[in-house]
Amino acid sequence: MTERENAKSIKLILDSNLEDVFLVGLAIRGICSYAPLGEVVAYQVEVCIVEAVNNAIKHAYGGEAGHEVEIGIAIQMDRIVFEVCDTGAGAIPLEARKMPFDPEDLESIPEGGMGLQIIHDVMDEVSYVKTDLGNALRMSKHFDSGRYARPGKPS
Amino acid sequence: MQLQSEKIGSVLVVKPFDRRMDASVAVDFKEKMASLINEGHDLVVLDMEGVDFIDSSGLGAIVSSLKTIGRKGDLVISGLQQTVMSMFKLTRMDRVFRIFQNRDEAVAALSG
Repeated sequence: MTERENAKSIKLILDSNLEDVFLVGLAIRGICSYAPLGEVVAYQVEVCIVEAVNNAIKHAYGGEAGHEVEIGIAIQMDRIVFEVCDTGAGAIPLEARKMPFDPEDLESIPEGGMGLQIIHDVMDEVSYVKTDLGNALRMSKHFDSGRYARPGKPS
Repeated sequence: MQLQSEKIGSVLVVKPFDRRMDASVAVDFKEKMASLINEGHDLVVLDMEGVDFIDSSGLGAIVSSLKTIGRKGDLVISGLQQTVMSMFKLTRMDRVFRIFQNRDEAVAALSG
């Protein structure tokens, strides 16, 4: 069986409403519990997907509800892959901004712009595609394949 | 976002009711905190014991509250769950805020 055939995948479609994004977070949390990521890393992965969806809503759709954000999730033998897609005209931020700041200098501490940096720090691979249809942000997190027991299969 | 607040001596303890501090509540949190601070509360403990999720918007809202207090007081944090603490570390916010195990330790530190 090839790795692709072995992958388990699901797609979620969310309305572009910030108040509904927690539903994606809860779904990601549940799905990540099947991958051997550990509680803290699974939580950080959840944050990354929430950040990506928030970016799509805020930047691609200008914060307007009534549009679709699609989240594709695939668990492979050694990684979990996410793709957050929108059909908005606006471009989502691409470059993770390194934000050096002095903890003693109150004004230098950032209040925003940390989302993409978190994604780059947590995920093992991050890539972005801008198409005529919109934006697609692909992220993957690797894990030890020896510790992955497929749900429903005897280990 | 609902906030529960309690005055202990000169310290105001603020506890969010919501389990998630994310982009959907960040602006509301920021405004409610600014309102409390502008009432004259400049020693604040943010008790995060019940919060099990924070994203960059939630972190930004807490930074905003710290900036509202400015140098005239302090905002410290207590009760962080391990997962939420990891986000403070990842963004280096653990170097910005004094973080305490529980509310009582935080209140004692600000009362001293």
